[in-house]
Amino acid sequence: MIDGIFQFIDENTYLLLGIIKAVVIASALLGVVPLLVWLERRLMGRFQVRLGPNRVGPYGLGQPISDSIKLLFKESIIQNSADKFLFHLAPVVVVFTAIVSFAVIPMTGPFELFGEKMGLWASNINSGILFVFAISGMGIYGMVLAGLSSNNKYSLMGGLRSSAQMISYELTLGLAALCVIVHTGSLNLVDMVERQNSWPNALNLLNPPLMIAFVLFFIAGIAETNRAPFDLPEAEQELVAGFHTEYTGMKFAMFFMGEYINMVTMSALITLMFLGGWNTYILPDWAIIGFVAFAFKVSFLLCVFIWLRSTFPRIRYDRLMTFGWKFLLPIAIVNLFLEAAIRVI
Amino acid sequence: MEHIPAPAIDFISLAPALILSVFGMLVLLMDLFAGKNKNLLVFASLVGLVLAGVSAFAPKALPVVSFGGSYVVDHLSVFFTLIFVFSSALTILLSIEYNPRNGIRAGEYYALILFCTVGMILLASATDLIMIFLGIEVVSICLYVLAGIKRGDVKSNEAALKYFLLGAFATGFLVYGMTLLYGATGTTKLAGIAEVIHSGQTNSDTLLLLGTVLLIIGFGFKVASVPFHMWAPDVYEGAPSPVTAFMAVGPKAAALVAFYRVFATAIPEIGTTWDTLLMVVAVATMVIGNFGAIVQTNIKRLLAYSSISHVGYLLIAIIARNSLGGSAIAYYMMAYAFMIFGTFGIVILLGEKNSENLEIKNYAGLGVKQPAIALCMTVFMLSLGGMPPFAGFIAKFYIFGAAIKEGYVVLVVIAVLNSVVSLYYYLKIVVLMYMKDSERELELSMGPITLAVVAIAVFGTIEMGLFPDPILQLTQ
Amino acid sequence: MLEQYIGATVMFIMAIGIACGMVFMTSVLGPKRHFAEKMEPFECGEKQIVSPHQRFSVKFYLVAVLFVLFDIEAVFFFPWAILFKKLGMFGFVEMLFFIIILGVGLCYVWIKGGLDWE
Repeated sequence: MIDGIFQFIDENTYLLLGIIKAVVIASALLGVVPLLVWLERRLMGRFQVRLGPNRVGPYGLGQPISDSIKLLFKESIIQNSADKFLFHLAPVVVVFTAIVSFAVIPMTGPFELFGEKMGLWASNINSGILFVFAISGMGIYGMVLAGLSSNNKYSLMGGLRSSAQMISYELTLGLAALCVIVHTGSLNLVDMVERQNSWPNALNLLNPPLMIAFVLFFIAGIAETNRAPFDLPEAEQELVAGFHTEYTGMKFAMFFMGEYINMVTMSALITLMFLGGWNTYILPDWAIIGFVAFAFKVSFLLCVFIWLRSTFPRIRYDRLMTFGWKFLLPIAIVNLFLEAAIRVI
Repeated sequence: MEHIPAPAIDFISLAPALILSVFGMLVLLMDLFAGKNKNLLVFASLVGLVLAGVSAFAPKALPVVSFGGSYVVDHLSVFFTLIFVFSSALTILLSIEYNPRNGIRAGEYYALILFCTVGMILLASATDLIMIFLGIEVVSICLYVLAGIKRGDVKSNEAALKYFLLGAFATGFLVYGMTLLYGATGTTKLAGIAEVIHSGQTNSDTLLLLGTVLLIIGFGFKVASVPFHMWAPDVYEGAPSPVTAFMAVGPKAAALVAFYRVFATAIPEIGTTWDTLLMVVAVATMVIGNFGAIVQTNIKRLLAYSSISHVGYLLIAIIARNSLGGSAIAYYMMAYAFMIFGTFGIVILLGEKNSENLEIKNYAGLGVKQPAIALCMTVFMLSLGGMPPFAGFIAKFYIFGAAIKEGYVVLVVIAVLNSVVSLYYYLKIVVLMYMKDSERELELSMGPITLAVVAIAVFGTIEMGLFPDPILQLTQ
Repeated sequence: MLEQYIGATVMFIMAIGIACGMVFMTSVLGPKRHFAEKMEPFECGEKQIVSPHQRFSVKFYLVAVLFVLFDIEAVFFFPWAILFKKLGMFGFVEMLFFIIILGVGLCYVWIKGGLDWE
């Protein structure tokens, strides 16, 4: 009996490993969200010279958990004139795309465990970065569907704005990423990190055209995740709550879950593409140290996201579109050309 | 690291397409800074067309092959390039006076004509299904916009929308046909397809036949043959007159030459399976085109139906599938270009500021008031009807000759009978011009450039009718 | 080859499960106390003043069309970027022309006012 199980494991190592890794990563991702909510609220409290949540548990750590339990037990209201099916579908799409796009993010370099060569990723596919773009690009549908199905003008405006904003900044995002792809010659995210393994190629960030690409990617990334100062789709002052005005309870929380997971994915992408991924350059390259380094870099970027939110006021919508099309896009095109020119000479 | 070799490209033979692409973009950018005055754009476009026409003669030895055999410049394609450049230039000349009068101010007009010409040149030289698709798309997309360039005009909008929807649909058929052909033979090169069919190694004959039928449907839409002609009258009527003339000549010639290349070089060996179908299409096109034209009261609709019937004659050359057919198509299209641009020049001359005077009855009394223009119109009408001393007669003669050589006598007899029918409505206009008095006073806008176009056309029609040999030699 | 996709597939299934599960749970667990006012669309406490189903600015369509154009062009960059080193100078020059054409398109849209939001 036990021999049979071992034999089964031996024969299907890949399958089992894949399943285990996927389950672990997906659960960890869901666990990170409440932590991130807590971090954001605590940091925002600090920035605004107030305390932030501090009552539930040590340092208020229990707050997001109690919040989510509360939201789960709240009434989920679907107003009469809404399109029921699409209204339910929208948050599902948002959460689904957010989780799946994280599947190809590697968090350590390849290492050996129990004689199996593996790494901390759910999938290591050759078209890694395209996969992330493709899946996270589908997240727009969630917002548009939410806006359309709510039968509410605030929602509709929010949905429209978000779709226009996200597709506009997706161009810059893609062109900035292309610089790194030209530099690496591969779409695979592990390859991109390994290209930065040693001096003098370490840290794509230090390469002049890639430095500009980094800034472009970061700005476009903030806009893609609908974070302040680009959180136009949910601008409270004009649109109540934008595309999720009509949502209540857990479905409302799901939009935030999607946003936070997207933030993590975006930070992870930036880390992998520009900040050397799991490389520390001084410490021994053990997988565990690599993972800690990766997590540290991602956390730092997440703090920057929060920092930006509490620093900048929201930008006006026409300025947002002008900025994207007339400033970022030309720079991105010229920058790609520069990177190619430097590579070819 | 191993390098991927650059494909062999002969840039000299590509020059016409490259020059026109560059000039197209140049005109587009110039338009941004030109303001209201479009003369500079017209000038730049004409310079581009002339340069392209001259550069078509640049290759020293023909044929020249580029892009791994998917682009071939041979005598046929050089001649067609000349037809395209010529017809585009005439279109632009006709528009100089027409556009301001009819409120067409978009500078993109000229750029679109240039881009469309690029597409047509690609189409004439394409020997690969993918290249043919590319050419057809470039041509079609430009034409969709050109048909609707009179933005305030309901008829123009209707024309653009109809053309776009049906054209997109037809492209679907075309691509599907190409896919099946590729599936059956495993190659998109026309020569390769012929080779596979010749060696009998096709994957599936059913796929091959299905693909052929779909290709006939797709090309049928593009050249406006029956039963896929329904868009033509509406689009021809709604589009601005110079664009109508353009559509009747350039893109039609381009689609026909691609049609000819696919059917006469890729799949002639299975000709017995598709020539019956194509014969039915050709006969239907001639009959419906001619009888449809008889009842028209609008000159542009009449010319649309007449253009459909001319496609019927041209299909006979494709059915003949010999090299004589190819040069017959080339000669016919050149002659047709003269006739159509002349006719449309007169149509434009007749137009006024607020009314284009497109009814046939507006032509009454023209013979008394403007005998010279009426005479020109008579020449074009007789030539379109295929009467002897003019270009239309010689053109038809070559087409029928190519068909008779392959033994399609019945088809030729039907075609001759049809041309007799067509004389009825062409002569109707002539009779109207000389035998009837005008109902009201017509103010002809005697634009000098439009008059010059008409003069060139008359000269060409007569010259090609009396001395066909020099031009015929160019086509072979 | 397909082994690579096992993890992603499992994530795929899990994500659907998690997302649908959450929607299902909140529908089951929450209270259901319906009354007329609650079921109306939100309009700051008023009855809905105008229908949300009205025409919206044509600018949004324009942005969508422009996005399709530029994104399709960007798509062509991806295979080029991967093979960039192997294509060498040839690839660079070809792509230079491509970028110039892209730039002409952007200039055209820009000066024609397609990017203005005022």
